[in-house]
Amino acid sequence: MSGICVVLEERDGRIGRISWEALAAGKLLAAQSGQPVSAVVIGASTESIANEAATKAVNNVIRVEHPLLAHYTSDGYTIALHQLIEKESPTAVVFPHTYQVRDFAPALAARMNEVLIGDVVAIGEGPVFTRQLLQGRLAGNYRHQGSGPCFVSVQAGAFRADAIESGSAEATNFTPTIDAAQIRTEPGEPFRGSAQTVDLGSAPLIVSVGRGIKEADNLPIVQELATALGAELAASRPICDNGWLPMERQVGSSGQTVSPKLYLAVGISGAIQHLVGMKGSQCIVAINKDPDAPIFEVADYGIVGDLFEVVPALTEAIKAAKG
Amino acid sequence: MKIIVAIKQVPERDAHIRIDSSGKWIEESDVQYAMNESDAYALEEALQLREKHSGEVIVVSAGPERVGTTIREALAKGADRAIHIDCNDLNQRDALGVARLIADAIRPDNADLILTGLQSDDLGYGQTGVILAELLGVPHATLILHVEKTDAGLKVKRELEAGFFQEIELPLPAALTIQSGGNKLRYATLMGIKKAKTKEMRVVTAAALDGAPVAVLDGIAHPKKQRSTQIIPGDAKQAAATLVEKLKFEARIL
Amino acid sequence: MTSLSATLAEPQSFSLVEKLLFLLLVAASGVLFWRRFGPILRKILHSRKDPDFHLSPIGRRVWDFFWEVICQAKVIQQRPLPGLAHAFVFWGFCAFALVTLNHAAVGLGIGFLDPASWIGRTYFYLADAFAIACAVGIFGLFVRRFLVRPRWLGSKVSWESGFIAGLIFVLMVTYLGAFFTTDAAPTARILWWIHTLTLLIFLPLIPHTKHLHLVLSPATIFLSRDGFSQIPPLVGDEDFGLVTGKDLTQLVSLQAYSCVECGRCSEHCPATNTGKLLNPKEIILGVRAYLNEFGPASDEQLLGKHNSQEAVFQCTTCGACEFQCPVGIEHLPIMIGLRRGAVNTGAWENDYGGKLFNQLERGSNALGISALERDKFIQKTELPIFDGTQEYCLWLGCMGGYDPKGREIIASFARVMNYLGTSYGVLKKEKCTGDPVRRLGNDLLFQQLAEENLKALAQNKVKKIVSICPHCVRTIQEDWKAYGTPPEIEHHSEFMARFAGRLPKQKSDEKVVFHDPCYLGRYRNVYDEPRELVQLSATLVEAPRHRERSFCCGAGGGLAFLGEETGERVSHVRAQELVATGASTVGTACPFCNTMFRDALAASEKPPQLLDIAQLVARGLPPVAPTSNGVSKA
Repeated sequence: MSGICVVLEERDGRIGRISWEALAAGKLLAAQSGQPVSAVVIGASTESIANEAATKAVNNVIRVEHPLLAHYTSDGYTIALHQLIEKESPTAVVFPHTYQVRDFAPALAARMNEVLIGDVVAIGEGPVFTRQLLQGRLAGNYRHQGSGPCFVSVQAGAFRADAIESGSAEATNFTPTIDAAQIRTEPGEPFRGSAQTVDLGSAPLIVSVGRGIKEADNLPIVQELATALGAELAASRPICDNGWLPMERQVGSSGQTVSPKLYLAVGISGAIQHLVGMKGSQCIVAINKDPDAPIFEVADYGIVGDLFEVVPALTEAIKAAKG
Repeated sequence: MKIIVAIKQVPERDAHIRIDSSGKWIEESDVQYAMNESDAYALEEALQLREKHSGEVIVVSAGPERVGTTIREALAKGADRAIHIDCNDLNQRDALGVARLIADAIRPDNADLILTGLQSDDLGYGQTGVILAELLGVPHATLILHVEKTDAGLKVKRELEAGFFQEIELPLPAALTIQSGGNKLRYATLMGIKKAKTKEMRVVTAAALDGAPVAVLDGIAHPKKQRSTQIIPGDAKQAAATLVEKLKFEARIL
Repeated sequence: MTSLSATLAEPQSFSLVEKLLFLLLVAASGVLFWRRFGPILRKILHSRKDPDFHLSPIGRRVWDFFWEVICQAKVIQQRPLPGLAHAFVFWGFCAFALVTLNHAAVGLGIGFLDPASWIGRTYFYLADAFAIACAVGIFGLFVRRFLVRPRWLGSKVSWESGFIAGLIFVLMVTYLGAFFTTDAAPTARILWWIHTLTLLIFLPLIPHTKHLHLVLSPATIFLSRDGFSQIPPLVGDEDFGLVTGKDLTQLVSLQAYSCVECGRCSEHCPATNTGKLLNPKEIILGVRAYLNEFGPASDEQLLGKHNSQEAVFQCTTCGACEFQCPVGIEHLPIMIGLRRGAVNTGAWENDYGGKLFNQLERGSNALGISALERDKFIQKTELPIFDGTQEYCLWLGCMGGYDPKGREIIASFARVMNYLGTSYGVLKKEKCTGDPVRRLGNDLLFQQLAEENLKALAQNKVKKIVSICPHCVRTIQEDWKAYGTPPEIEHHSEFMARFAGRLPKQKSDEKVVFHDPCYLGRYRNVYDEPRELVQLSATLVEAPRHRERSFCCGAGGGLAFLGEETGERVSHVRAQELVATGASTVGTACPFCNTMFRDALAASEKPPQLLDIAQLVARGLPPVAPTSNGVSKA
């Protein structure tokens, strides 16, 4: 048993950032134990992503290819990777903690009498894997004690993708044996959630505007910020009451309850009716000129200042960051 | 359709958390417990399927005696009967160990469908449903928001990342992990709790822990930084730049 | 002939035919009365027994009967002119009891009151005065109903009411007319017969019309529950509130048949006044219509027949209807009973309501916010933690613990208590008292919350509680009783008023209009204390509707959590009324009123400032002095 396998995931024809972060975690494990790192790509035709992976400092790239892997299925991926791991017998298999990995990796590990240590945020000497418990209120340290490979998936953003050096690796092919009958599920094409109605509830990013905007004519500066972020625009009740934005965009006790990854509150003081609608957001940013505004009580980040100056500056900064 | 729903009792979201003397788990005495949120959605999905297609809903839950209150809540909301896996060392078992307990307890029922919540609010492994499927040899799908019964089996709506969804068809028997928010939860009623008194709750004793688990929880700690508000200084331009930097590398959102 | 010495003319003798005809007519009238009244009485008596009914304390019942029935106090107080007119008619009827009995006896030749005797003369003169007052009264009421036509009487013209008013008028006129003739004159005989026929027509009409209240409402008032908005306990495993006819109790049925359709409840109802479906009068008449159609043994659902679920869940439980009702109908137990029936069986499906219940099933407060936020507030405001040594437990409540405005009220009240040197502390953990779920009819959840809180208070050895929220006060003091013995509790306005002499006074021209919260006023009878506090530092002005007649802010009955209302917003209607007083400050004494008005007042052009009485008092306090260790206390 030797080597670290990092399974990279394709996203829109390229390898996603979180997969590079997984690779960074794999390299950290490899550095701890002085082992080689293999990048694993998987699909029906993996040439372009294999080439992409080969530009990084890895020992080799393994292309797991089979026509039945054209679309992701839990059965297909589990069978293929099981065969690969049996053959390679690495000491650890590292995944990005994506929805797809969560769908098959636990079964893959269980098939080998192993357990996935999932959603890892840090790896210490030992190795000791740190993951969040009780929704981030505690951190738990885990050790792997099985006889087989250690399965690990890492949380988005926990490791620095830009720390990986470039290199040029050889690619090898691995063709698993899969029978069509072994794939029991039939996946459909991905589709976007219904675009007709505003579904703030499932929006990952929300920019919300309140009374501080003063007039309907000032709304475009907030709209521009939302567009730059790729966020939905929402509002507190007074804005919708005035008819400046439709009622369906109202967040709060008489509107919608939202829990996005980012809730950016612009000119919202934070009345309780509003707070109850957005308190579940992962990260709350507040921009308000009143330093005593209650919204700052619930915010993770706050900027005390004139929104008419801060918002355009923020729009520019986001555009610049997104390049 | 015979549906089994695996539910877990977890500390209330609001619970005050203190680490116990072993340093491996929380002080349980001053914590109040509730049904895990996504499990409540799994139960709701099961009840709605039974209302549409008739059949039976059986809840299964592993844990110490206190788990009985959560089981009764599930019975009050409409589950037909329950299996309580009496187990005092749940936190020391890894996801595979717990899934094995549940698989052993429910295997004799030969259910058509096994539902679990996506993830527990305490340990958050998010694996029980998937491993159950593996152990019972049935197909599965995860992050499910909507379940529809078809002639061939099921058509389910799965949540993908970045606002996308996908439909998956799979034959029965099957296992699904249910994402929160797909349905509206029903509330527990007085009538339900009275009816629950007469429903069957079978208690099975968990097999003793067989050696050490594969993944060992060595210790828990409070994370270094509690959530607090960072007021970002500087003029508009500086503050904006700092904020973007923080959203990118600290909050990891952008 | 208009001599004061005139006596009541009575025909001296009747022929056998006349006597037989008279007896026949009396019998016919009696049978017609009973054919209608008997079934009603049976429906009432065959309703389920009220599990919590006790005749004692009888003194309270006798007093209510004397004050509300005999003195017609409520009728007059709340609608003085029509009330007085009604009182005249009522008193006229009372005075006429003996007259009518004698009148009938005369028909059989056994009259017992001799108009010529001094007793008879005195009594008939007395009745004279009542007859005039009654005739004037009924004429006035006739004019009001058919010419003034207040909209609360309903859009439908009630011809039967007009007819009955006519009958009463005829009764009085024929009585008075008999003073202007002699015993022997044929006129006396004709008047006697007209009077008799009118009476005998009137009798069977009583149970067919709203005049049924003549017979029932004295009993309704005498038998009414002790206290305002008394929600009866659920008994046994099959009692979930008012689900079907079988759940209607004798009191509910009696009250349903007692309604006189005066519309006072509708006139004061915040829902009816803002274009909602709910009209409390229609709810009561709906129960009556159900009883008429299905009876008290029916398994048919109560909601969906003559009453709609939607209407029942629009009630803010402000209690204006119950307070106003002159015939002793207790609307709140009925309204909440119907909600209980829908919620306890799971029939009520409402996104917001379901969310509220789920939040309280798994969390600590009605707002669904993490309890950690409460901890942070306690730390930041440096509120002492209750450890059993302090005199008072300061109950924060959901609004005081989580709402930014409610927190300001708590901070101000804490300053007042610090100033007074009161020892107090807050509980480390608190759960919602269960007020919204109690009013929405979720008994399971309410019981859980009440029991958990009672346990925590007992563990902490709390003896006295003070709270800024009238809803918490009411729920803890009255509603928790079903599950244990709650500690003594008072509202912060009562607390501060007790120390008014020690609080700073400053004369000021600032005009403050005080809004009476429903749960402090009608529910607790506290009206003067907050006013006394307002007047420490400002000039008090009153809104047109104040004290017992205060108009709800729209938040009660769990409605604060049920999302946007249909029609006009109750809070806006009330806010406009408060703004119209010209006051520069609106004073409140309830954090729910405060939060409702915060938005509603903002809609006006020059919004007055909005302050709780604790904030009004605290602003007059001297700046906080540094404590011995140099750290200033909030």
